[in-house]
Amino acid sequence: MNFKALGESLGLEEDEFIEIVEIFVETAVSDIKKLECALPSNDFAAVSDAAHSLKGSAGNLGFMDISRLSATIEDKARKNNITGLAPAIIELTALITGIKDQM
Amino acid sequence: MLNRSTMNINSPLSILVVDDNPLNVRLLETTLAKEGYNIFKAYNGPDARESACTNNPDLILLDIQMPGENGFDVIKKLKNKGDTASIPVIFLTGVSEIDAKLEGFELGAVDYITKPFHPLEVSARVRLHLKLSIATNSLIRSQADKLKQISDAQTSMLTTPEKYPDARFGVQYMSLHEAGGDFYEVLPISNDIYGYFVADFSGHDISTSYLTSSVKGLLKQNCSPIYQPLESIKMINDVLVEILPPGKYLTACYARLNRKTRQMRVICAGHPPVCYVPVTGQARILEMEGDVIGIFKNVLFGQETLIVNPGDRFYMYTDGLIESTDKKIVWSEGADRMLAACQSAHDVPISKAPEKITQLLCPDLSKLEDDIVILAIEV
Repeated sequence: MNFKALGESLGLEEDEFIEIVEIFVETAVSDIKKLECALPSNDFAAVSDAAHSLKGSAGNLGFMDISRLSATIEDKARKNNITGLAPAIIELTALITGIKDQM
Repeated sequence: MLNRSTMNINSPLSILVVDDNPLNVRLLETTLAKEGYNIFKAYNGPDARESACTNNPDLILLDIQMPGENGFDVIKKLKNKGDTASIPVIFLTGVSEIDAKLEGFELGAVDYITKPFHPLEVSARVRLHLKLSIATNSLIRSQADKLKQISDAQTSMLTTPEKYPDARFGVQYMSLHEAGGDFYEVLPISNDIYGYFVADFSGHDISTSYLTSSVKGLLKQNCSPIYQPLESIKMINDVLVEILPPGKYLTACYARLNRKTRQMRVICAGHPPVCYVPVTGQARILEMEGDVIGIFKNVLFGQETLIVNPGDRFYMYTDGLIESTDKKIVWSEGADRMLAACQSAHDVPISKAPEKITQLLCPDLSKLEDDIVILAIEV
């Protein structure tokens, strides 16, 4: 993951981009926790909101795989169907960890 | 438009960024601060509104989907307050449905950026809309400067129904003094769109006459397809605040009728209410509150939009016909009498309706206490 290039594409210096990625990782971890808590209680709205937030943040920074996965979760939650989402959440966690490890 | 009356090149332009996601706020703050803007931040609706009032930003970037008060709620409240109504708002949102976009524009947003947004795109649009605000502000200042130079009373030709037959209107105009304070204007905005304006200057003196010509000039310049009726009247207010002598003001009513879309939009600035007599359905007074024009920079005008049908009629007028110091009637009471008179004019052609109404309400014109203007419009 080339932070310098990603940053440049957004018009940001590398250090500015890294600072923002740090905030992203924090909010992403918080959003994933919200997803994990909302699933067992079938709280569709909470799942949808958390996924929406993650989709937006990831998309804005160019992390399109995270954004697309979050969009899928959000779509399902809006249709009141949150079965089978556990693997997606595991994958999201792995992707965020991947970004953390790069920093 | 910019919430400042003079452009001070040394004070930076400021932007209020509103989003419940701190990442989005930080991203926009980083990008825009590098461009030289002063950035204010808010993470929810109530804080956004407080910041808008306190800090007077030149532009607001506003997320729509926020818990509690969403972006639509926020913009409605901002537009309902004189201090913040003129600040341009750009929506940022992940919702891409056309209905949501249209609602945003209808509520007064100047632009709409869908998420995920590219920070440089946001930066470019911010620049564009600030340029537009600055240009509009310059236009107002230059209009005001030109009008300040007019010193002679100018004769103004009255617009007759024959001049614009497609505007389908009738008018009764009687001036108590040579330099009357009441006046009206009918404006062709496009083939199917006409503007109708009735106004009353406080005071009857020679300076009112030149001001009437000035306002007619401002109407021609500022009532165009690119401005919504509310924007047009606000711009006229901004010019008049600069040029009217202290204590002088205008009450006015401005209606814009689009005969193609069958939409009628009425703006009220402290003026007697319009009487609406539809072909089918109940006739009614369009009750609206609004500030007068020409005293305050931050103003709120009343607005109502109606879908209309061919044959529907609207009556705009000044208070001379229904107010009477002699009989101790003020226009708020007289409006009901006006509505009744308008209804009874349904059987005459629109061009004759104002005359009939005048006869009903003031049979003895020698007892006239004030100017009379009645402008009758038929869809």
